[in-house]
Amino acid sequence: MKCHEYREAIATDPSGSFDGGDDHATACPSCRRFREEMRELDVRIAAALAIDVPLLRTPEFTPADATASAKVDLHAGRKGTATLPVWIGIAAVLVVAAFLGTRLLAPEVALPSLAEQIVAHMDYEQDSRRITSVAVPEQTLRQVMSDDVSTMDTGRELVTYAMSCVINGRAVPHLVIQGTSGPVTLILMAEEKIDDAIPLSGDNVHGVIVPVGNGSVAIIGEREEQLSEIDEIGERIVESVTWKT
Amino acid sequence: MKSMRADADRKRRFDEVVGIFHTELYRYAAWLSRDPGIAEVVVQETLLRAWKSLDSLRDDEAAKQWLLTIARRENARYFEKKSLDTIDIDDLTPEQSAMVAQSDDPQLEEMRGAIFRLEVEYREPLVLQVLLGYSTKEIAEFMGINPGAVLTRLHRARLKLKKSIDEAATA
Repeated sequence: MKCHEYREAIATDPSGSFDGGDDHATACPSCRRFREEMRELDVRIAAALAIDVPLLRTPEFTPADATASAKVDLHAGRKGTATLPVWIGIAAVLVVAAFLGTRLLAPEVALPSLAEQIVAHMDYEQDSRRITSVAVPEQTLRQVMSDDVSTMDTGRELVTYAMSCVINGRAVPHLVIQGTSGPVTLILMAEEKIDDAIPLSGDNVHGVIVPVGNGSVAIIGEREEQLSEIDEIGERIVESVTWKT
Repeated sequence: MKSMRADADRKRRFDEVVGIFHTELYRYAAWLSRDPGIAEVVVQETLLRAWKSLDSLRDDEAAKQWLLTIARRENARYFEKKSLDTIDIDDLTPEQSAMVAQSDDPQLEEMRGAIFRLEVEYREPLVLQVLLGYSTKEIAEFMGINPGAVLTRLHRARLKLKKSIDEAATA
């Protein structure tokens, strides 16, 4: 075995467990030194990779989770075969976990109101409220809306965020459109019937939930935005939305 | 009653599998994403998907690779969904900086920074080999590349790290 071959092999596997490895190291002091350097390097690499690990937090699971199967192909390599819709937000998973955790641990505790849940969700998904000119793919938008919304007119505004998110235990479309004064969030809740408009107010956002047929739509803008801008977009959306259910 | 027992057995099996591999799962996710916050999200999503597909895991001996396969896919999905580009190594978030500088040992911090700066095609096989004990063949199968490519990447990863450490030592 030549020295360059040995060094190449040692750099891929410092244990030296390849044919001819030990013999070459015995015979060549320079390569033996290189082997020791690689082994010392690996000790440092192993120590560096062993970062602190936070406590394990297992999500709360429901029996329904156990029956919904998502196949995982162990041999798929880069191409996955998981069948869960990709537009289900990770936030949705965590919110469901928190919601169910609360119910299991303290069922007598009052649940947050619809407005409070929406404001908390807005804080959690702050990334959705970026000013951007990148529209979501049409297919993503259709898929997010497919279960609940039959028609909706977003006008000329760009839809830059579309995700299915869990509000009040149900997955609903969460959209962001780029208004003239900034991003406006729409949460379309086909089965949240309310009698009157409910104002929303958080540290960074404000808006309103308005009744629409047997459901409701939350329309939320950034704290510094004028409510009139939110109202104008909201009015158009509310007038054009029809539910599938 | 039978159904409750079946649910309890399923939960026990899941807890055993996850409990054994949680540390490796998190560390893999953290070094793949280079972000502790993203790693936590990826781990949570991995656990949820693993729970749902637990019945497809025929052999608990294969649990580690099974969990890591899910995590790898979830990490890719996370970055795809967030349209994130590569991390700017000169503009780390506080969480990323904390991940690199977790220890008081300057040599450890130096090595962590060097691994952090490695491109993912070199960093991932190194993590799989050194941290998770994967063989070349296992890494090739896991990453969907040929064994020759694995060997080349491991070789280059170590030489890059050695160069980085040597330069820091002489600076």
